[in-house]
Amino acid sequence: MSNVYSTICPGCNFGCGLYIRENGAIDIDFRKSSPANAGKLCRFGMNLPKLYAPVKSMIDGKEVTLEDAAKEAAKRISAGSTAFLSFGNTTCEELLAFQKVATSYLCTGVNFDALPKDTYQTLSVGIPYSEIEAAKHIVLFIDPYEQYPLIVRRLLSAKKKGAKITAVWWKALPIANETIKPADVSKLQLSKDSLIISDFHPMSDADQVKNVLALAKNAGARVTFLKPFANSTGAYILSKDAKQKSHGALVDDINKGTIKTLFCLESDPSILPAETLAKLTNIIVQSGSAISDKANIIIAHEPLYKKKGTLINNEGRAQALGGAGTNGLDALGIMAGAKFEFNALHESVKKAIGISTVDEFTVPKYDRPAYSAIQAAPKPFEAKTALVSVYNPFMWFNLADDNDFVELNLNTVRSLKLLKGGTLKIKSNGSSIEKKFKVAPVQDNVIISAKKFGIEKGMLTPVEILR
Amino acid sequence: MQKGEMYVGWSTKEDVRKRGGSGGLVTSMLAAALEKKLVDAVVVLKKINEFEAVPIITSDVNEVLNSAGSLHSVPSNFAKLIADRNLKVALPAKGCDTRAIIEQGKRNAINLDNTYIVGLNCGGSMHPVVTREMLEVMYKIKPEDVHGEEIEKGKLIFETKDGKEHAITIDELEEKGYGRRESCRYCTIKVPNNSDIACGNWGVTGDLAGKATFVEINSDKGAKLLQNAVDAGYVQVQKPDEKGVAMRAKIKGVMEDLGKKWKAKIFVPMDNRLEFFRKELENCIDCGACKTVCPTCSCGEVSKCTEFHMRGDAYKMSMYHLVRFTHLADACIGCGQCSDVCPVDIPLTRLYMMFANPIQEQLKYEPGMDMRKPPYFEVKLND
Ligand SMILES: Cc1cc2nc3c(=O)[nH]c(=O)nc-3n(C[C@H](O)[C@H](O)[C@H](O)COP(=O)(O)OP(=O)(O)OC[C@H]3O[C@@H](n4cnc5c(N)ncnc54)[C@H](O)[C@@H]3O)c2cc1C
Ligand code: SF4
Ligand code: SF4
Ligand code: SF4
Ligand code: SF4
Repeated sequence: MSNVYSTICPGCNFGCGLYIRENGAIDIDFRKSSPANAGKLCRFGMNLPKLYAPVKSMIDGKEVTLEDAAKEAAKRISAGSTAFLSFGNTTCEELLAFQKVATSYLCTGVNFDALPKDTYQTLSVGIPYSEIEAAKHIVLFIDPYEQYPLIVRRLLSAKKKGAKITAVWWKALPIANETIKPADVSKLQLSKDSLIISDFHPMSDADQVKNVLALAKNAGARVTFLKPFANSTGAYILSKDAKQKSHGALVDDINKGTIKTLFCLESDPSILPAETLAKLTNIIVQSGSAISDKANIIIAHEPLYKKKGTLINNEGRAQALGGAGTNGLDALGIMAGAKFEFNALHESVKKAIGISTVDEFTVPKYDRPAYSAIQAAPKPFEAKTALVSVYNPFMWFNLADDNDFVELNLNTVRSLKLLKGGTLKIKSNGSSIEKKFKVAPVQDNVIISAKKFGIEKGMLTPVEILR
Repeated sequence: MQKGEMYVGWSTKEDVRKRGGSGGLVTSMLAAALEKKLVDAVVVLKKINEFEAVPIITSDVNEVLNSAGSLHSVPSNFAKLIADRNLKVALPAKGCDTRAIIEQGKRNAINLDNTYIVGLNCGGSMHPVVTREMLEVMYKIKPEDVHGEEIEKGKLIFETKDGKEHAITIDELEEKGYGRRESCRYCTIKVPNNSDIACGNWGVTGDLAGKATFVEINSDKGAKLLQNAVDAGYVQVQKPDEKGVAMRAKIKGVMEDLGKKWKAKIFVPMDNRLEFFRKELENCIDCGACKTVCPTCSCGEVSKCTEFHMRGDAYKMSMYHLVRFTHLADACIGCGQCSDVCPVDIPLTRLYMMFANPIQEQLKYEPGMDMRKPPYFEVKLND
C-alpha cells in the first residue's frame, strides 16, 4: 500500500539515513540502525517532504518530457561557452557521468586552486565520527547546532568522556567550555590532542581555510572539514584529477561573458549573485526537487530517494541509496551523446574509493597524507559591525524556515534603544532591511543570521545597524 | 472462543512456525484475517537484517507470511502509521503500540472497531545502534555474524552463523549501559491485556516450548480473529496446561515488579527541577522530531506546542517544550520513541514521565490501558 525507500538526507554531507514513505503524500520515517545518525534527523531532515515537492521538466516555461528537455539542453550546450556546476548532492555514479559531459568547464564551487595541492585529501575526506567522540580537545570553527546538527550528539558524547570543547565563534555555544572570538584566534591553545572541526564550501574564504589548516599543522592537531552538500566528499574524490573551477572563477567568467550557458546538476544556481545570473543566456537545471525558479530548462529526473547509486559521507563512508531510478544517467547520456550504464559506473566508483562492496557499517581506510607547512595571514575584518551568515541547509536549499530574525546581544539592544518585539534596521551597501531580533549571547559588534536576506557578501558582511 | 480464554497454538505452515518468534501463530492469524477479508490491510515489519526492519501496511498475504519472527532491536511504534487513514486493519502490537493505538482511538484518529490489535508480550526492545556496539564490546562478535537471538532465563542469547550461542545476563548488560532502552526497563505493561488478544512465549511448556505461542483472548474481536485463523486452517490450538498458565502469571508478576523497581530507581525526587530541565533541554535544535514521532499525539501540523513557539523567542525554556510537557502529562505512555529520535540525545521520555508520573498517579489514570476518557478532556462546569 505504500512505497518505502531507504535513503540518505541530502541536507548536508553528514550522511543521515532515513526512510521516505510515499503515502500519497511524502512522509519521513526514522531508520534507527543508520550508523551515521542512529536514525535521528535535524530540523532540515524533518522538513524533507517540503524539499521533495514534485518538479516537472520544462523548456522556457512549457512542460515537456525529460527526454525532450535533455535534447533541448544538449542543443543549447552545443553552442559552447557552457559551464557545468555541481556541488555533489547526487550519486557518485551520476557525478562520474556528469564529469564526462562537463570536460570543458567543471565547477564544484569550491576553491581548490587557492589552496595547497597537498591539502586536497584533508579537505575532501573528514575524520570518522567515532574519532571525534574519542577526542580529548575539540575546537569548533562552526556552529554545530545550526550548521551540522547531527554532530552535536558526537560532541556531547566526547564531552561525557571528558573532552574539552573550545568554540572559535561569534556567540557562546551551550556545548562549549570556552568561547574565543574569531578575531582573537591567536589566543587559541592547541596541542597534539586537539581536533579542529571546520567546514569547507563554495562561500568559504580561502585565507580562513588556510589559517585553520596552518593552525592544525603547527600544533600537530587533527583537522576535519564538514561540508554542506550531500556527497561532496564523493564529488571531490572523483574530481581529484580534473580541472575544477571555483564559485568565484565562475562568477568572473560569466561577468566577462566567456560563459553564456550554465548547466547545474542538483545545484541551486542562485548561489551566484543575481546580477551575474542575469548575464546568462541559458540556465539549465537538472534536478529531482524544485530548487530553482530561474531555469530556462528544467530536466526533472527522479528525486534522490528514488535513485540507485552510491553516496560518500563526510567520514568517507560509502552508502547505498535504496531506489532503483537511473533516469538522471539517461538525461546526461542524451547530453553526452552516449549511453551511461549504471553498473560500469558503479564499478568505477568503487575503484576510485578503493572498496569492493558498499557497506555503510565500515569506514574505508583513506590515506591521510600530511601536508606541508602553510603560511597563513587571514585578513582582519575591518568594518565596525558585521552580519555573520551562518550557512545551514535551509539557506543552501532556499527552503523557508522559521528564522526570519537576527541575533544580537543585550548591550546592542540597549545602546540602540531597541524596543521589545520591535525591529532592527540593517544597512549595507546602499540597501536597507528591517528584521526582528532575538537576544542571544553573541559578541559585541556582531549580528547573526541563519537566513539569507539578500544583502550578504559572503560569511561576513559589513553593516550599519540602527533602530 | 471467547474473551478470557487462553490457548497454546501454532501456525500450520511449517516454515512460518519455524521462523516465528514462538509458534508463528501471530503471523498466520494476521494472514488469515487478510485472506478471509476480516480486514483490508495488515501492518508488519519488513525485515532488512537482524537489526533493521521497516513497518509496512500491506494487503499481500505473502508479505505477511514473510514477516514471522521477533525483532528485539527494532523499537518501532505502529500507532501513527495507521492514524488518520481510516483503515480496516490488523496489526501486531507491543504494550506501547497497543496503548498508543487506544489513545489515538480516544482522539478519533483511529477507529478501534475496525482495528484488530494483536498484542505481543514484551520484555523490552533495544536500540539497534546500541545493540551493534554491545555485540562488539560485550559479546566480541561481529553484528554481521548474528543469525538469531532469544531471551531465556534472564539472559540475552545471540546465535552466530557458525551455530554457536553467546549468552550474557540482561542485568550485566544493563549495568554497562547496554541492553534494553531505558523506557523499556521501567515499562510495566508486560502482557498487553488491553489488546484484543495477547500473544507471547511465556507459559509454553514441555515439548512445545519454543514451538508454540501462548494466547489470551481479551475481547470479542480477539476471539473472532483467532477463530477465523483456526477455521481457515492457518493455525492449530489446544488448551494450555495449568503449569504453563501459572508460570506465565508468575513471570508476568516478576517482570512487572522489576519494572517498578527501575521506575523507583530512575525517578528520584530532586531539588531545583527548573534548572535541571533547562540544562537538559539547552541543546535542543528545534527539529520537532519528538512531536512527529510521539504515538499518542494526534495534533497534526497545527498544534498548541508549535503555534505558541517561535524560533525568534528568547525564553529560557521554549514554549514548545513547556506546552508539550503539560499537554502530554495525561497522555504520555513512556514508549521511548521521543528519546530514540532526539538528534541531540536528550533523555526526553524521562523528562516527559517526570511530568506525567505524579499526575497519572494522582488521577489514577493510565493512558492507553482502557477506554477511560483522558482527565484533561473533561470539562467540569460546576467545579
Ligand atoms: C520486542 C519484543 C519483545 C518481546 N518480549 C517477550 C517476552 O519478554 N515474553 C514473551 O512471552 N513474549 C515476548 N515477545 C513476543 C514473542 O517474541 C513473540 O512475538 C510472540 O510469542 C508471538 O510469537 P509468534 O511466533 O506467534 O509471532 P510471529 O508469527 O513471529 O509474528 C510476530 C509478528 O510481530 C511482528 N514484530 C516483530 N518484531 C516486532 C517489533 N519489534 N515490534 C513490533 N512488531 C514486531 C512481526 O512483524 C510479526 O508480524 C516479544 C516480542 C517483541 C517484538
Ligand atoms: S545533519 Fe545534514 S544529513 Fe543529517 S538530517 Fe540534518 S541536514 Fe540531513
Ligand atoms: S515500552 Fe514497554 S511495550 Fe514498548 S517496547 Fe519497551 S517494554 Fe516493550
Ligand atoms: S512523550 Fe515520548 S514517551 Fe511519551 S508517549 Fe510521546 S513519544 Fe512516547
Ligand atoms: S527531538 Fe530533541 S532536538 Fe528535536 S525538538 Fe525534540 S527535544 Fe528538541
